[in-house]
Amino acid sequence: MDVPSMSRPQWTDLVTGKKTYQLKFLAAKILLGRLVHSVKENPTPANIKSCIEQVYNVYAKNAGSPSVQEDLTTIFG
Amino acid sequence: MIQDIMTVAETAKLIEAGNVLLLAGDEAVLRQLPKGNWIGGTIPYFISHAEGGLATRDRIFVTDVTGVAQSVEIVERDANGLAKVYAEGPQEGFSVVIIPALSKAHLSFALNAPNYKDFGVRPLIGWISGVHLDDLGKVTPKVFNGVTGNALEEGAVVLQATLKPGKVAEVGIVNLFEQGGGDILTFPADGFSAKEVLVNGEKRNFAAYIVKNKLDTRLPLVADYYGALVNISFQGIDEVEGEVKFYAPVFTGIRYKHAKPVADYGEAFKACLENKCQLSEDRVVFSCNCILNYLYSGLEGKKTDPFVGPITFGEIAYQLLNQTLVYLEVHDV
Repeated sequence: MDVPSMSRPQWTDLVTGKKTYQLKFLAAKILLGRLVHSVKENPTPANIKSCIEQVYNVYAKNAGSPSVQEDLTTIFG
Repeated sequence: MIQDIMTVAETAKLIEAGNVLLLAGDEAVLRQLPKGNWIGGTIPYFISHAEGGLATRDRIFVTDVTGVAQSVEIVERDANGLAKVYAEGPQEGFSVVIIPALSKAHLSFALNAPNYKDFGVRPLIGWISGVHLDDLGKVTPKVFNGVTGNALEEGAVVLQATLKPGKVAEVGIVNLFEQGGGDILTFPADGFSAKEVLVNGEKRNFAAYIVKNKLDTRLPLVADYYGALVNISFQGIDEVEGEVKFYAPVFTGIRYKHAKPVADYGEAFKACLENKCQLSEDRVVFSCNCILNYLYSGLEGKKTDPFVGPITFGEIAYQLLNQTLVYLEVHDV
């Protein structure tokens, strides 16, 4: 699966903590541990956009990894 | 792929054959090796398939990644230069970093890596080099650049490996510790030590809190990073100064809990592998485990198959971890 566009609402749900997923990709989990907290502290559109860009970037640069593919299926179906 | 304890002569033969090696051993044996495609760090504790946990100053733990690496580059980075460690990793590969314990690079990486540019965009694994516990305070931990023969007690060595086509690398962890059912602990500042802690939101002196609640400091603090459990190990408590020291930094905004006890590391390890980890031994190309697990769980003479490797003063799976086994898998895709 290609990494879905940053405009997909699931990215916002992910970084705001609105939805919680059982993820596999370690780098994304560690990153999200910080980003979800960052958005809770500063829920501005600019910060949400920045956090989406960071997590999208981590998934996009590791798209060939089996755990990334599992996560994308978990998040986007 | 070799992951085994070897003599200096056996290791030298592999180096001279042009193999790409990750090495761990006492400083005296690493200094005897010829130049070549290798990086190394000082430590005399290992887990091997044949002997389990052991301490030896005479032999070297050899991890041979020749079979998966199409090409490698070995670089040295100072504390500031480590900020590029994710961004400059090979596009289709992985990086292995070794940093000497208590160096500026160690402290800087521990505190700042989560905020380095492009955190997590390339697989990064590694470890913190150390010394025999009898040599603590007498000998400094070192890292070695095999290409130049340099031995560094400040800075880091990084092996950047581009994988052969059709392969992809993944970094994983095995952490037997889970958050206990106690208080939620948060800290007002990032750092390797803390005087103040917020216990369920109420400000307290952390040293006094630990003493009053009789917390077993062999068990780490555990943070839940979106399901990834990350430990912070206790180094010591100064009751006079009211200060608690850690082997990795605590971070503001992260909620920590004291870990549940693990009755038998070996049994828990087996159960974890059977229940949680879906690993194929032939995919694991490198792993290392923590000196505190080795000591507190009595791993001398015990095996943690399929994982073997150096016993370290800190583990790196993207960022610095404590009391955790980290491993690198290479998949065929």
